[in-house]
Formats: sequence, C-alpha cells, structure tokens
Amino acid sequence: MNQANINCPNFSLKLETASVLVNKVIDGINRNTMKKRKLVWLELTGCSGNIISLLDGANPDFKSLAAQMVNFIYENSLMVAEGEAAMKKLFSVIGDDYILAVEGAVSTKDDGMHQIIGRWKGQPVTALRAITELGENASHVIAVGTCASDGGISAAKPNPSECVGIQKLLKKKVIKLPGCPCHPDWFMGTLAYIMLCGEPELDDRQRPLMFYSTLIHDICPRRPYFDKGIFASKLGEKTCMFKLGCRGPVTRVDCPLRKWNDGVNWPIGDDSPCIGCAMFGFPDKMEPFISYDTT
Amino acid sequence: MEIDAVIDSNIVADAKTEGLLFRGFEKMLEGRSPFDAVYFTQRICGICSTAHSMASTMALENAMGIVISQQGRYLRDIIHGCEFLQNHIRHFYQYTAPDFIKLPEGNTLFETEHNDFRLPKHKNDLIVQHYFDSLEISRSSHEMLAILGGKAPHNHGVFIGGITSQATPEKIARLTSMLQNIKQFIVTKMIPDAYTIAQYYKEYFKIGRGYGNLLSFGCFNQYKMLGTLFVNPLEYSNGRMTKLNPAEITENVHSSWYTSKTDTYTPFQTIPDPDVKKSDAYSWVKAPRYRGLPYEVGPLARMWLCGEYRNGISTMDRTIARALEAKKIANIMLVLLKNLIPNISLQEKYEIPQRANGSGLIDTTRGALGHWIKIENKVISFYQIITPSAWNLSTRSQDQLPGPGEKAMIGTTINNTDLPVELGRIIRSFDPCVSCATHVYKKGNLIKTMQVVP
Repeated sequence: MNQANINCPNFSLKLETASVLVNKVIDGINRNTMKKRKLVWLELTGCSGNIISLLDGANPDFKSLAAQMVNFIYENSLMVAEGEAAMKKLFSVIGDDYILAVEGAVSTKDDGMHQIIGRWKGQPVTALRAITELGENASHVIAVGTCASDGGISAAKPNPSECVGIQKLLKKKVIKLPGCPCHPDWFMGTLAYIMLCGEPELDDRQRPLMFYSTLIHDICPRRPYFDKGIFASKLGEKTCMFKLGCRGPVTRVDCPLRKWNDGVNWPIGDDSPCIGCAMFGFPDKMEPFISYDTT
Repeated sequence: MEIDAVIDSNIVADAKTEGLLFRGFEKMLEGRSPFDAVYFTQRICGICSTAHSMASTMALENAMGIVISQQGRYLRDIIHGCEFLQNHIRHFYQYTAPDFIKLPEGNTLFETEHNDFRLPKHKNDLIVQHYFDSLEISRSSHEMLAILGGKAPHNHGVFIGGITSQATPEKIARLTSMLQNIKQFIVTKMIPDAYTIAQYYKEYFKIGRGYGNLLSFGCFNQYKMLGTLFVNPLEYSNGRMTKLNPAEITENVHSSWYTSKTDTYTPFQTIPDPDVKKSDAYSWVKAPRYRGLPYEVGPLARMWLCGEYRNGISTMDRTIARALEAKKIANIMLVLLKNLIPNISLQEKYEIPQRANGSGLIDTTRGALGHWIKIENKVISFYQIITPSAWNLSTRSQDQLPGPGEKAMIGTTINNTDLPVELGRIIRSFDPCVSCATHVYKKGNLIKTMQVVP
C-alpha cells in the first residue's frame, strides 16, 4: 500500500488518529513544509447531516479545518456568496488541484432533474452533472456519509428519485466514509492522511482501515453479556441488545471506542441498539431497526 | 433553493420560492415497521432530525393509544430543547450574521460580492469573534443532546414512552452546567448581537412582513404539573387569536411538481405522485394551508402567539425573536431539568397494532411540524409529513396567493438590482430548511434568477 513514510503512522484503531494526523498537517503548513490544499464540499441528495456533524467535531474542530488546514472553496450552506457567484467559485477549481468531499447520493431520475444545486450560465446544475464534472477532475474524492457512499436513505426502497452512491457515476476511485452521519473524526483524519501521504489503506469496500477495520460487536462493552447469553427484552436495559435487532455484529466501524459528540455517548450507551447506519445496505438491509420479536 | 424574482423599477413585482430537491420519504416509509419511522424520518433533515423523531414518536403514541408519563415528556422535551439551541445559535451566527457583518478576508468561504456592510469596525469585529465562539456553543448544545440521546444529528434517545435511557444524577448535573454556559452566551452575546445588527439595518423592520398570519402546533405546553411553559396550539390572523383546529389543515399541489386526483387534500387523504414535467409548476415544495390561507410558522410566530414579543412582523423581527426564543428555551430547559426524577425507567415492550391511525403535531425549531401515520397489518401503509419550511416557503394554490416567503419579498425595494442582497436577507429570516420542505434537502445557498423588467 503506502510506502514507508515518517509522516504516515500506521494506525490501527486508535482514538487519537484524527487529531494526530490533523495536527501534523497544521504543523507542516505552519512550518511551510506542506501547503494548504483546496477543498470543495459538495452537498447532493441528502439531509445536510454530514456538514452539521462536521461542525460538531471537536478534536480538532471545524475552525482548525477552515482556518489552518485547507482553502475551503465551496460549501453551500456556510459560504457567504450566493447564486451565480457561488457556482463560479465551484467550477473555478476544475483544472486546478483540489480534494472533493461529497455528502448525499446522486439522484439520476429524469436526467437528474430531481435535484438542482444551482444555476450556472443560465443552465440548471443537477447533482448528476456536478458530480461527474467535479469528481473526475479532483485529486481525491471522499464520500462523506452513507448516502454518498452507497445511496443510503436517499436510495431507500422504492427509491423514488433513483439515487445512487457517487462511485456508481465515477471512474475514479472514491474513498468511502459511511455512517449516518459521518463522524467528524473519520472525515478529518482521512483528509489529513490524504494531505500527508495520499490515499489511506482501504478495505474491499473502499473504507479506510484506520476507522473501519473492526466490528462494533467485537469491541462492544456489552459483549460479555452476549457471551453469557444475557439479552435485553426492551429498550433501556443495560444488557446485550442482540435480540432487539442490534446490528453491531455486522457493522464495521469504531463507534464503541470513539463515541459521538466529543465522546459523550453513542447509541448503545443510550440503551438502544445499533441500527447499522455505517453498513452497506442501510437502511433497507438493516431493518427492522427495533424488534421485540427476535428469538 | 432558488428565488425567481421579477423586479420592476427596483420594486419586487413578483417572487417565487423554488425547492429543487426531491427524495420521496413518504413513499419510502410504506411497508416499513412503524417503530422504524422514529429513526427513518430523522434522516429527512440533519439540521432538525430531533424534530422528526418527536413528531414521529407522537404520531405512533397517538396511533397506539399510549399516554406517556410527565417524566418521559420532560426528558424528551429537554432533548428537543437542545436541538432548538443548536439550531438557533448556528442559524444566527453561521447563516444570518454573514448577511450583515463582514467576515475576515483571505478565506474563500467568506467572500461575497455585495458591500452593504454598515457596522463600525469594532462592533463588526466583536460579532466576527462571536461567530467563531458560537461554533463551540452550538457544538456543546449537540453534546447535551447526545448525553440523553446517544448522538447528534440523528439521535437514538427519543422513542415511545419518552426516551430510551435514564437520567442519572450525574447526567442532570452535567446538563445543567452545560446549559448555564450556553444560556450565558445567548444572554451576553447572541441577543446583544442581534440588537446591534438591528440598529444598523433599521429598514429591515419594515421589510419582509408577509401576511401576518401566524400559526403554532404548540410546544413545551400543557404539562400536568407545570402547565404551559411556552405556547399552546394557536393561530393569529386579522388581529385575532384563536385556538388551532387541526381539522382545518390542508395541503395543495397546484404549483408543485406533483399530480394527484385532487389538488387540495387533508393530511390523511392522499400522497401525490412526483411529476417533474408538470407545466406551470415551479417547486417540489407543496402548499400547506389553514382554513385555505397561507400561514407563517417559526420563532416569531411562537413568540407572538404566547405574547412575549409583539414588536412587529418583519425580517428583523424574525431575527430578534429567534435570539430571544433561544433564551426562553434555555430557561424552560432549566425548569424541566429541575423537575427530573433520576433513574426512572420509561421503556416497555411495545406491540404494534394490527391497524391504527395517528398524528403527531408539534412546534419544532422552524415551526409547525406534522406527521400522520396509518398502520395496516402491523406495517406503515401511509405516511404524511408537513414541515415548517413547507408552510413558510409554500407555493401558490389555485387562488394564486403567494406563499408567506414569496409574499414577504413582493413589494420590497431593491437598491442594486445586480446584487439584490435584500432577497437573501428576507428569505433567510425564515430559516429555510428546504430539505424538509419537500421532504428533501437543500439548505442555505440561495440562487437567484433575476428577471428584471425593463
């Protein structure tokens, strides 16, 4: 995979992964040994949950990203420019070096007319057009969240807008960070790794191993209950929620260690089962989320 | 979203608000487990996901005939309050303030073409400082949410009976302390900043009124012991306030890209089919109506209806009402936290009925939100969602009456038709969240097609 490089620590499931990598980047930029890269954040057919989650990032936070790490060119809700001026900034990166982060799936029905992200030179810019033009020209493409990775909830049965994950539309390899939403550390760590060393080591579903190498079930603090056969019969109990339909046994990601919102909690810590939101096939293949009838 | 405005001699002669994203959540929900709707519908919007878990859970409880305990309500409402705070703080600093203050140069995200910035440098710089400080405060609101609700966005806590986990004394103490810190920020920075901006942009108290019809489904209200801490279901029009009757709510798709046997329908009646080729339609947003009329919903509507803010109805009044409401919500949450009894288990083993109908109507950050569910053979057979942004950014029905956001723009004087900064300011005062408006999403960035009449 990546050649040995002093800047490229080999992380396997460490809580501090993201902050160590980001601090190396910021340090490199401050010492002029690295330069800021251009970042474009494209929001397609989704719910904005991933940008909100990124704003919830604390270790390090959004301000470090925008002020010290990258030259943030485009993010539809945070940028001040609007209308054609915003579209001009977006398309100005083509031909330049930039990293593309995408949240949301791509609606393909009726040539993409179920999602228009703006108007450029009088023509509607569909999500479909935006991803194909900006995706192939980017140095790296990061799918942020489950919708961009695999279609997610935007492509849920019967998929009325015919949504697909972005890899389906691109020849270029997409680095996938599934999760509904994506944890801010997963994105910040991946972005920093790309800036330091290029593409991180990925599994066969294009997910960085540093965040997605383990099953929730294997590192779940409630695993001892599972091993002893002690199961919760309703939400709110402190034992193993396998029989309520917990998807921890099939979901690969580091939630039990990392937790959410600056590490304060996570779904199982809230006495509710994992619903497999970071898993390929979410939501359809992860349903029912809650079941009292499992035996 | 896009605004299509016709400007004649510097006056907005006509304006259309266009929602340009469709996903079709209501169709997706058919055939799924009713319990899953609580988690599924949150994915309509990452900014107000808790709102959907609230309405969805209430619709389920209504369908299942479950009356939850007051402790369950307190806990759930505290989670909901956290979302209000996160939203209001982000909306004011990250989405509203940049329309009026000049953010630091040298950052591409902050570049803008217009130059209507009026604050003296020291006042401008102070709000810029608060813009960055607020990132930590809104983040902290979501941390509070996650303490009781597992994570944010898309919480796991809100469920039938109240929430899934219990409030321990440690959690209550930590939440109270975090909330005091957030309240301190709102009182000492956010509210003064709103008034500072208002002082330099006074004409915005006269711009963007709309109809003046206001509506709320109620929230933080009718507790058994605590009474109503915020607002009951009410509507206000023609200077008169009356109790809200949910039977008067309809939706209309005359100007939206949907076809249906009937253009106007009640929530339980039908879900129209998407039709992107429909002529004369211009948006994915439908048109909710009360007694056939367009109504504004949101913080200003609530603060007006409960009698706490009666200065006026305008772009700037919306912004001030939002900041004042943030303080109001923080105070309500402190009362609820004080009334919590720790370590109470709220969950039971619930059984889905063979067949039932239910509705969940509640005011959320952006205004009145309704979920309507029908269950057949233990699965969802029908699901209707009417969101706050659909009320505010609604399209026209047969009568051609503009939606509240459209009405608010029409008649406005535009100083520079090349850079109509007024339109963005007016529409952002409604806190548009167009993802949910069409049960789809596209937030914040306003694209204008200006048709300037010679």
